[in-house]
Amino acid sequence: MLDEVKEVGSIAQAAARSAKPYRRHIVGLPLQRSLFGQAARAATTIGLPGLSSELDFPARLDENGDLFLDRSQVAALTKALSSWFTPETLELMHTAHEGACDALVDASENAAARAAASLDGVARELSEDLANRMTLVLAYGILAKFVPDVLLRALADAGDVESPPFPEKSAGAELMQNTFELYQACRALNYTPQRLQREWPRVSPEVFHLVSEFCNRQTGFGPLAWESPGYEDPNYVVRLLHSAFDEVDAEQVRRRLSFAKRPVVARSTIDAPKKIAALRRVLGFWLDFLERETWYVRRAFYVGMIPLLQELAAGYRQKIPAFQPADLLFLEIRELAAGIADPAVIRTRRHRYTENTEYLSVHGVDPSRLATILGSS
Amino acid sequence: MSAETSTTVHSGLGAAPGHASGKAYVIRNAEDIMAVPAGSILVVRVLHPHLAPLLPRVAGLVVEEGAILQHATTLARECGIPAAVGIRDARSLFQDGELLEVDGYTGKVTERHVD
Repeated sequence: MLDEVKEVGSIAQAAARSAKPYRRHIVGLPLQRSLFGQAARAATTIGLPGLSSELDFPARLDENGDLFLDRSQVAALTKALSSWFTPETLELMHTAHEGACDALVDASENAAARAAASLDGVARELSEDLANRMTLVLAYGILAKFVPDVLLRALADAGDVESPPFPEKSAGAELMQNTFELYQACRALNYTPQRLQREWPRVSPEVFHLVSEFCNRQTGFGPLAWESPGYEDPNYVVRLLHSAFDEVDAEQVRRRLSFAKRPVVARSTIDAPKKIAALRRVLGFWLDFLERETWYVRRAFYVGMIPLLQELAAGYRQKIPAFQPADLLFLEIRELAAGIADPAVIRTRRHRYTENTEYLSVHGVDPSRLATILGSS
Repeated sequence: MSAETSTTVHSGLGAAPGHASGKAYVIRNAEDIMAVPAGSILVVRVLHPHLAPLLPRVAGLVVEEGAILQHATTLARECGIPAAVGIRDARSLFQDGELLEVDGYTGKVTERHVD
């Protein structure tokens, strides 16, 4: 309780510094909010100048899920970064950033593989480890709001006149192509988007398999708020296919896709001065990361964290008979790691969450959604 | 007697080149993405990658948040869809069905009103 008061106190201070939210209603589930709460601590491990303590981190979430950004901290961080870039520091930044993303992907797959076989203690340990890796990527996600701009300015200052190193094919463009291929495959089996939506899930086994496999592969694409439906959910995908391709000329889609496949003609960085080459390489990774930042963490939640939570739920149920698996989403990560679950606290948080109808409406969350994602409906 | 039209121009940043015109369709909540009219000008706060499959059906993009380096820029450029970013409060400024013109070179969005 004391910790909650402290947290609310620090949030209030942050809110006072910047009264208008940077973004409203972005994250509402206490478990996900608590990861954001730890992102400041994670950010200090990144090794960027101007981020020597948690207080230097410019972002805070309040209990309504509103994100506050402290512009003065952003300005200080931006200034510190600008004078810090050398080929060596850029390489360190790049290695750490790439390493954090790769480690999260590996930890997600590892958690999924071990969850079914793990004992309660191991699931707890794995969930804490996975959460720590998620918070680090979240910290990069916050930094992505301004670090790429700093890098672009540094490139201009260094005399680079090329266009920014956008990804040759972004995560979104790949998703577009894969979704179109699913649409075509279903059509080839006589399932128009209308028919698919009307008959789902009572469709042919072949089509059911196609959609399910697509969902498994594309899990991670979706809104930032975990509980808001995304590509992990076949119902969402079936509705999206209808929305995306109904009354659309297939040739028009192909034209858009062929546009996306155009080779990008950019000057080779091999002949560029060392600093420009380093800046372009690092900025290129950040631009790709911008397209994948939500995917990394959302995929980690669905692929890695959900199986761990399902494993942990069984242990909680033995201690608290009325415990529901979705109650775990109303714990904070430190409570989950410590095995703490106070039914009264969970009830209060759940009540506060379900009362926030504006948030639920914005994110398309219906009353059964939380039980569905924990596989307990 | 013919109706007269007036225009209001909103300035942002040109994020993906080209010109487009069409009726505005404003994404205000998650459910809105399930009913995007073909040929519309999509008005969003941020164009997240998970919305990419909807792009082939839209004529242009208007994005509230914006800088040259952000989600919308990459995707819109890749798909050849004219886009203006940094149009503050676009989702409040524009109503569904309103006629908009997007200049993806300059970032100007022209709102046409029939008086």
